[in-house]
Amino acid sequence: MTKLLNLSVAALIVVGGICLYADDDHEEHVRHASSFVAKPMTKQEKTSVALYQKECGACHFAYQPEFLPKRSWDKTMNSLNNHFGTDATLDPAEHKTIQNYLAAHASKYDRMTGMGGEIAMRISQTPNFVHEHREIPKKLVIQEAVKSFANCASCHTKAASGSYREREIRIPNYGSWE
Amino acid sequence: MKYLAIVSMFSISLMAASPDVVQYMNELSKTAKAENPSFSGFDAARGKEIFTSTHTGKQGKPMACTSCHTVNLSSPGKNSLTGKVIDPLSPRANPQRLTSTKEVKKWLKRNFMDVYAREGTAQEKGDTLAYIMKN
Ligand code: HEC
Ligand code: HEC
Ligand code: HEC
Repeated sequence: MTKLLNLSVAALIVVGGICLYADDDHEEHVRHASSFVAKPMTKQEKTSVALYQKECGACHFAYQPEFLPKRSWDKTMNSLNNHFGTDATLDPAEHKTIQNYLAAHASKYDRMTGMGGEIAMRISQTPNFVHEHREIPKKLVIQEAVKSFANCASCHTKAASGSYREREIRIPNYGSWE
Repeated sequence: MKYLAIVSMFSISLMAASPDVVQYMNELSKTAKAENPSFSGFDAARGKEIFTSTHTGKQGKPMACTSCHTVNLSSPGKNSLTGKVIDPLSPRANPQRLTSTKEVKKWLKRNFMDVYAREGTAQEKGDTLAYIMKN
């Protein structure tokens, strides 16, 4: 069952059914357009997605690669021995597969203008993200049920399927956000 | 000869792990013997001490294996760094556990770094695995 679910999630991500930073109307439109170009995944793509989800989803939510540009992912992949204070090293073959997967699906648009030349490793520190989340009171973010903005799925109930619509948001001990 | 006896005796008590992981423990046992001539087999009691005691971890803060896996290995744990739920570590509660040497090696390396800020020795790794199997 879990396996099945993972694959359908993977399919969504790969066909670009994920909608970043769009208002609900616009989003619906993007979704439509993207299902139009949906292509079945090759066997190799399926393996890469499954590996990404297993390895990069072991300690936290497996973030969609579309949230960061390639140079961010490369920086992360080149420092896994000290990954946010923990050791997330991989064996060389898996490392390569995942790095290629991230590069292939990374955001083409660099969301890091305004970062003074810094390369963001955190999605939650990119200017776009900070802007979208600026109205959320800090106490709702640092509470035990969320811990930090890195925990996307604690508020975005459909995040695992790549969907971040406003009406799907449920902040623990607060509720929906509308 | 004596050494062989230790290894085979040991394997019998390890039915909670897959043949793959039993094989890995036999290798650890060889290394432990080579590193320490007085080594006479893995010990779940020593493993318990390694697993439950608190140390200064990779982040320079107090950490224990139980920070994430809790003291009850047959119930789910929670990653203290990220909040993500971790399935039970006990092979009895979770038959997926200790079935792949690759997984076991990877996580022991990472997790000893988290808690001890260094890799575990062969003996330490074997002792903790013996402890996990018993729980
Ligand atoms: C051993 C555990 C572990 C593994 C495996 C792991 N991570 Fe992380 N990751 C963390 C921790 C801990 C944080 C910091 C979480 C926090 O601040 O709440 C983090 C944070 C992140 C963030 C920043 C999230 C944000 O926007 O704030 C990204 C991006 C990330 N990881 C990507 C990856 C990728 C890609 C992989 C796979 C190669 C991976 N992680 C595997 C432990 C891990
Ligand atoms: C504390 C709860 C919380 C967490 C954790 C959180 N978000 Fe959000 N997110 C929100 C809320 C609330 C909004 C809507 C903000 C607004 O419109 O004022 C939002 C908006 C968004 C949007 C814009 C959606 C749209 O329709 O325009 C995206 C994309 C998004 N978040 C992605 C993420 C990602 C990726 C993560 C993890 C790295 C994350 N969020 C973590 C609460 C959260
Ligand atoms: C920071 C949190 C954290 C700490 C501390 C931690 N672990 Fe883990 N451990 C994990 C995670 C996450 C996994 C993999 C999650 C999964 O497979 O569900 C894991 C997996 C394991 C596995 C792999 C079991 C298998 O066959 O799947 C073993 C063995 C293990 N840990 C032992 C230890 C030992 C021994 C220590 C102390 C030295 C320790 N852990 C400390 C988070 C932690």
